[in-house]
Order: sequence, then C-alpha cells, then structure tokens
Amino acid sequence: MITEQGRVLELLLSGEFICQTKDEDAFRFLQSSANRLSIESQLQILNRNLSTAADGEVFFASYILLQENERKFLSSQFQEISSHLMPVVEWLLMVQEAMGTDRPLTQGTVIRLNELQSVVEDTPAYAEQLGKISRYALFGSKAAELDAQLKLIFKRLVEVGYLIRPNQDKQIYTATGKIDYLFDVLKFIDETENLSLSERAEDAISQTKLI
Amino acid sequence: MNINLLKTGTTLLNALSNHSELIMQAYFTGNVNEAEYSPKVIQNLIDLKVLWRPDAEVQLRLRPSLRTLLEESLQDEHNRQIDANIGNLLATLTTQAEHYKESIANQRYHDAKAYLADLTEHVYTLTETLSTNVRLLWSRISNEFGYVGSVDAKIRENELAQGQVTDMLNQLSMFRFDELSQLAGSQRELRHLLVITLQSSFVTSTQELSLVQSKLIELLGRFREFQGRTRLLKGFMLHMEQQPDFQPSNYGSLSDIPALFNVANPVIKQAAVDVNNVEHEFELVSLVGHIRTINRHWFSQEKTQSDAVRIEQETEVTLSDDKLKMAVEGYFCDVIESGQNMTALEYYQKNDLEFDPEAWIYQVIGAYHGLPDQDRQYLEIDPIGRPDDIFIGNFLITDIEIGLR
Repeated sequence: MITEQGRVLELLLSGEFICQTKDEDAFRFLQSSANRLSIESQLQILNRNLSTAADGEVFFASYILLQENERKFLSSQFQEISSHLMPVVEWLLMVQEAMGTDRPLTQGTVIRLNELQSVVEDTPAYAEQLGKISRYALFGSKAAELDAQLKLIFKRLVEVGYLIRPNQDKQIYTATGKIDYLFDVLKFIDETENLSLSERAEDAISQTKLI
Repeated sequence: MNINLLKTGTTLLNALSNHSELIMQAYFTGNVNEAEYSPKVIQNLIDLKVLWRPDAEVQLRLRPSLRTLLEESLQDEHNRQIDANIGNLLATLTTQAEHYKESIANQRYHDAKAYLADLTEHVYTLTETLSTNVRLLWSRISNEFGYVGSVDAKIRENELAQGQVTDMLNQLSMFRFDELSQLAGSQRELRHLLVITLQSSFVTSTQELSLVQSKLIELLGRFREFQGRTRLLKGFMLHMEQQPDFQPSNYGSLSDIPALFNVANPVIKQAAVDVNNVEHEFELVSLVGHIRTINRHWFSQEKTQSDAVRIEQETEVTLSDDKLKMAVEGYFCDVIESGQNMTALEYYQKNDLEFDPEAWIYQVIGAYHGLPDQDRQYLEIDPIGRPDDIFIGNFLITDIEIGLR
C-alpha cells in the first residue's frame, strides 16, 4: 500500500511538475505546510528539496548541494528547456490568436483540437505557421498534411509535460503548470539579459496602430 | 379604484401579450422593423406607450421602462445598468415618513394608511434596487466580463464596475440609521420599515459589495497578467526575428544557479518482479497468461500482414531441405556402390558438406527410416556413441555408420 505521501514523493522523484491540473490530490496535499515539511525531510536524504514556481502553482524537486554531476545535469537540462522556448512560444501565440480569446494559455486552459484545427485549416497564415512550428526539433514532423502536423505537435507537448489529455478517447487537451513555469523562465531570461521584451512588443503594437 | 385606469391597464397588458413576438424582437434587435407589421398594430403600440420614436427618421424602439422590466424579469446579462441613485430614494422616504407622522398626529387615519402604503413600496424598491445591483455586479464577475472579447475591453469594463462599486458604497454611507430611528420615533410600523428592513438590506449589501470589490481587483490583476504575458510572448518573437542566433547564456552552468533552473533529475525507476514473493503469485501468473495471449495475437497478425513474403521464404526452405536430402541419397548410393561401411561424419568430411553436422546426422537417421521396406533390407544402420555420464539409460549418438547387410 502506498500512502498519499509516498505517491507525492514518487511523483517528485520522477521529475514531475506537480500542479493542480496535473494531479489535484497531490497538489492539495502539498498545500499543507505540515505535509510539505515531512516531504522535505524525506527529500533531504536524497539531496533534494521541494521548490515552487509560478507563484506557488507548481511544485518540483530541486537539488540542495550542487556537485559536479548535478551541475552537469542542470546545464544539459537548461539547454533542453531553452531549446523548447522558441517552438513553444510560437505555438502558444498561434493557439492564442487562432482561438481568438486574446488570453495566453495558462494552467487549466482547455484546448479542443477539433476547434483549433478547423480555424487553422480555414486560415492559410496559421496553416503556414503551423508547418513551420512542426518542423522544430522539439516536434520534428516531416508530414506535409496539417492534420498529422497538429496531432504530432500535441502528442509531443503531452510527452514533454506542457499538456495533458484527461480523456484518451477525446481530442481535448488541458495546459499544465509547466506552461506557467516556461513563462517564468522567459521572464527570467528577459530580466537577466535585459531584453525588455514587453516594451519591444508594445512599441510594435503602437507602430501598427499608427499605420 | 379607478375604473378607467383598470380598463386601460388591462388593455395594455393584453396588447403586450398579443404582440409579444414583436416586443421580444424589438428587445433583442433594439428596434422594430416596421415593414413586417401592420401600421395599425404599430400605431396601437405607440399609443399605449410601449414603443416610441426617439427622433424622426429613426426606427421605433421599446420604451426604456419596458426594457428594464424585461431585463429584470429575464435576469438578462444585457442589463448592465446600475441605478445608484440611493440618495434620492432616501430623501423620498424621509418626506413620506414625515407625511405619515403628521397624518397620525392629526388623526387622519385614511391618509396615514395611504402614506404608509407608499412608504412600504419605496422601502422595498430601495432594498430591491440594492440587491439587484449587487447581483448584476456578481453576474459580470462570474463570467469574467465574457460579453466583451479582448482583454483590453475587459480591463475597461472592470474599471467601470469598480467605479460603480465605489459609487454605491458612497451612496450607502448616506444611510444614517440614528436619524432614521429618530424619524421613526415610537411608531411600530415606521420603525419596522425604516430601521429593521433597511438595516438588514444595508448590511448584506455592504458585505457583498466589499467582496465584489476585492474580487474585481483580483480580476483586474489577472487581466493585467494576461496582457503582460502576451506582451512577453510577442516581444520574444520579435527579438528572435531580429536576432535569430540569440542563445540565452547557460544559467545551469553558473556557479550560483538560480532556483528556477534547479530541477533535480528523475531518480525513481520502476521496481522489478520478485518471483519468490508468494503474495504476488496470483498477479504474476495472470500476467504471464496475458503475455501468451499477446503472443498468439501477434503471430496471427504477422501471418495476415506478410503473406506474400512468407511464400518465397518457404520455397527457399524447401530448396535447402532438398539439398540435404540429395546429399543423404548421395551418401547411401556411395555406400551401396563401394560396398564398404562408412560413417556419416566421414562422408561429411570427405565431401566438405556445409550443413550443421547434427542436422546431417538427424537427416541420415530420418532418411534411413523413411526408406521403403524392401530398400531398407539391403542397408544396416549402427549408431556410434556412448552412454550418458550422469543419467543412466540415455545414449548419446555422436555418429552413424551405414553398411550393406
């Protein structure tokens, strides 16, 4: 018999990002400070600590002490996540624009593949963009048909953990907290590298308005 | 009771029900398409003050009072007007309470009764207005200003709603219960209306309004967050367009790694099967059973899938079989022609055969037993080998000798 605490511990140690959408029970378990303390004390044995991101919406396991091996792993992991940035950002913008909601995806946002597909099919610009997105290494699609491209992109995003598919029989996906984590990463890069991304976007918007 | 008023009122209500379709259409579209209805009907409704023409050259519209009635009864989301004129209503209340008290003092009980009826009506209107306004605000919050599309519009709507809440709170502060209670004096009815009813409505409204206010501020924060995120995404895209070779420096290799990038590697792997655990026996057996069914499934699938290929493979197999068979026949013929005994392996080495020696020996034995009876009489077979070291009764054949009888 595995207790709830054991289950949460297992999730953390298998590298999961725990958020409300992904595993509501585990997320609620971690809301209590007593539970967090006991999980932390167990993680400590394995040189790990409980960390949060996206304003406490996401929990994950982090290292306490950084030795050479840990550094090597973190460095390669950063490369992986930064390679996700471009394709996922482009995909996020496309979904947001195609769905016409004006709202960026966040944890819990529901995407119906059929709706998205019909919009993308009807708009050549989106179809073209989708083709471009699907050829990023993250997705690596060689398919020429839009349907296959879209399905592959969603399948990969589920594998990498940005989406979940609550019902295997339906083409309905939900965004997880890892998307919010990616936003945090983007914000961090923006601030540390002084890219001033928001200002740039605002300038571009006001310019198009003037035209 | 005024007979005339009663009659006109009934006519009006009848007209409303007779032309309900027209009225509802006007309610939804905002105006009446005069070409669709007879001029007589339209004129009738104008006379009854159901429809009106705000300006010449403009289409007919529903009267605002009727529209408000429909909105309130249907609890329609379109209704977003908030009547915050509480001060006015309060002033009316005070005046009527004075009238009532004066009539009681002068012992004009009939007048007093009428004033009290008016006053009751006004008090209930006031409480109703308050609760409707709060409900309207909540309905806007609950669908997150779903009636406007863009986040910018939502932010504007939110600001409007916050302004309205502030207005309402200001107006509510005009309730002075000490004055009202003084005004009611010792009159039981007045006290009940002015103090008890108003106070309970006042308390619920203020509580709800403060909740509404905090919720509105929270929503505004979320909308701003949405805006910020969208800008972040767009900004990143623009940046990548301008500098396609942009690579963020590897924060994972810094000496002081930011907490955000400190994500530990997954360590847990699946546990292995313990076949000695008696408790698991049942599950393991069922698992094994499952594997077998999968295997069969897989075989049958493969057969149907690769029929064409298998035919070619089969012919090839028979060919090599034939070679083996012919070699054995050659061996038998050699023995018959030479008339000398020869072991199978001797012939194998002499002719540099390529088969597996064991298969060769098997084939020789098989071929011997496969000969017709009369042919077999001429030949004799003698297995060469030794008994097994460990298991008594087993004889290991290492070679076969064939000779003429």
